[in-house]
Amino acid sequence: MKKFVLAAGLTALMSTGAFAQQIGVSVARFDDNGLTVMRNGMAAHEAKLDGVSLQVEDATDDVAKQLDQINNFIASGVDAIIVNAVDTNATEAMSAAAASAGVPLVYVNRQPINMATLPDGQAFVASNEIESGTLAAFRMCQDLRAQGKSGGARAYMLMGQLSNQAAVQRSKDFEDVIGMDMCNFITLIDKQTAEWSRDKAQDLMTNWISSGEPFDAVFGNNDEMAIGAIQAMKAAGISMDDVVVGGVDATSDALVSMQAGEMDVTVFQDLAGQGAGSIDTAIALINGEDVDKAVFIPFKLVTPENIGEFLP
Amino acid sequence: MSDTSQGTGGLTFDKSKRQWPNELNVLAALILIVIIFEILGAVFVGQSLLFDTNDRFDSIFNEARLRIIIIQVAIVGIIALGVTQVIITAGIDLSSGSVLGATAMIAMSFAQVAEVNGAPNPKAIFGPAFLDLPVIVPVMVGLGCGIIAGIINGILVAYSRIPPFIATLGMMLFARGVAQWWSSGNPVSFPTEAYAVIGAGMNPVIIFLALALLFHLVMNYTLYGKHTFAIGSNEAAARMSGINVPRHLVLVYAIAGMLAGLSAVILTSKNLTAQSGMGLSYELDAIAMAVIGGVSLFGGRGSIVGTVIGALIIGVITSGFTFLRLGAFYQEMVLGCIIVGAVALDQWQQKRAAARA
Repeated sequence: MKKFVLAAGLTALMSTGAFAQQIGVSVARFDDNGLTVMRNGMAAHEAKLDGVSLQVEDATDDVAKQLDQINNFIASGVDAIIVNAVDTNATEAMSAAAASAGVPLVYVNRQPINMATLPDGQAFVASNEIESGTLAAFRMCQDLRAQGKSGGARAYMLMGQLSNQAAVQRSKDFEDVIGMDMCNFITLIDKQTAEWSRDKAQDLMTNWISSGEPFDAVFGNNDEMAIGAIQAMKAAGISMDDVVVGGVDATSDALVSMQAGEMDVTVFQDLAGQGAGSIDTAIALINGEDVDKAVFIPFKLVTPENIGEFLP
Repeated sequence: MSDTSQGTGGLTFDKSKRQWPNELNVLAALILIVIIFEILGAVFVGQSLLFDTNDRFDSIFNEARLRIIIIQVAIVGIIALGVTQVIITAGIDLSSGSVLGATAMIAMSFAQVAEVNGAPNPKAIFGPAFLDLPVIVPVMVGLGCGIIAGIINGILVAYSRIPPFIATLGMMLFARGVAQWWSSGNPVSFPTEAYAVIGAGMNPVIIFLALALLFHLVMNYTLYGKHTFAIGSNEAAARMSGINVPRHLVLVYAIAGMLAGLSAVILTSKNLTAQSGMGLSYELDAIAMAVIGGVSLFGGRGSIVGTVIGALIIGVITSGFTFLRLGAFYQEMVLGCIIVGAVALDQWQQKRAAARA
């Protein structure tokens, strides 16, 4: 009898579970600004959808922990898993674990290394990373030309963590753009990592300024570092009209800085859209629909001319 | 090394046994590092690290670089002043970076301005009643949060006899959780103008040096300082000679917490934003400054002056590597070697001094 009650209880539990689609989400870090926007986008989308329940966990930038979380999701019988990879080089094991358990898996925001060999029932939702750095860099090049500096301009670049694909890609995009015929009047004085951080960027920029090299442009792999550089330049009494500063993300701090005439270029990555898109893709995979391996949410260039569209 | 008698401030303090002060060794290391960078600079980039080689300033020094060398270590340096005192009691504080993170979020929430470029503050945490507050409010909130965290650390260490490593490790995790929970990971930005003044320009440096002077005097010329050294040199002896050890430990950890809270205020003011990831691994940077400056992790030995020079060494290395345009990885490799080297050298000298005495 006891066994029967237990079994009945378990069946009841499982059947209520089947009403709501359980989706497990592992986010690389909770304390990253951009990822927080994405996470909030997921939560907002979850509230709009009926019968979807998210379980969001923080991988605290730890590759091993993230894989454990995924295996725990599989063990607890979720209907799908969404992963924002800590380290994009470590996704092979995650794909294998989910595929062997037959659980759909969606990578969001960071492109997995095994993109080309992604098993069935798995997809990648993000913006096409190549767009962001290229859009910002090309616009900076145009701005420098418009300022009449096509005879020669000098730039610094602040990079994110070098283990991060976005940092590597955006840095490469910038260097590709200044290698083009139209923009090769720009020379890169130095590039260093400021680990995505405003504080580190502020100190690094001040160090650069202290060497006394003249410069015309500063490109940050993200807005936080661009803002840090702006704060350092302002503290050193450099007029923000003379320097073209570009970033990526279009954070609200960056938009305010642009309104104040400091930041010149940034790129809006629809992170909330990526979060929502990853849930839609996961649901489509659960329902066995045909889904593209890569679902791209476009980037948008933000400049003082069109900033109005991006203000809240 | 025996753990009782070579202290420069312990119970067996004896002026005649005092060797050539350790601070001079640290200072010599600083000068040596500067000379190495000057040589490398002359060879590879054709510039001087500290001197004005292209006539941009009215003095013989490159003033901009002198300033940044110390600005970039001032905030961690303030934490290191507290950590130095904790380590002198033979304790450790792993929580300071996280306490900084939590305090940054909380204090900044009370420093926000109501309107940004004519629109309501997009990052406001509280309602209008808590915006545009006088600057004293966030400063007091910041110091208060730090003190509370420090007192909890102190009580755990002194009364429940949890090892300091574990007690402050717990606080490190807890405070980082608070930092992320406070605004669910969202940054807190746009402080009032008065708040932005605290960390502007050279203010972090002025605060750092003023506090260093204050604590140098406190550690050397007050009962508080003598008791701190006494507890670190030999806790049982300190208790037997009538020092209220638990109460004193709570005070030391509370001061360390307060300094972490203060550095949160200065850092958020300098950056005009608070983010839950702020202060990550600052505790280790602060411990590194103290250790390079000659503070012994066994307790009872060390000085504020040493820690300040330790901070300057880290500042010179950071600026020096950017000056040589070398990547950050090399910087961390060199720092690792310097920390181990500094302690190895110190141990060797202690041994020699002990053999001579």
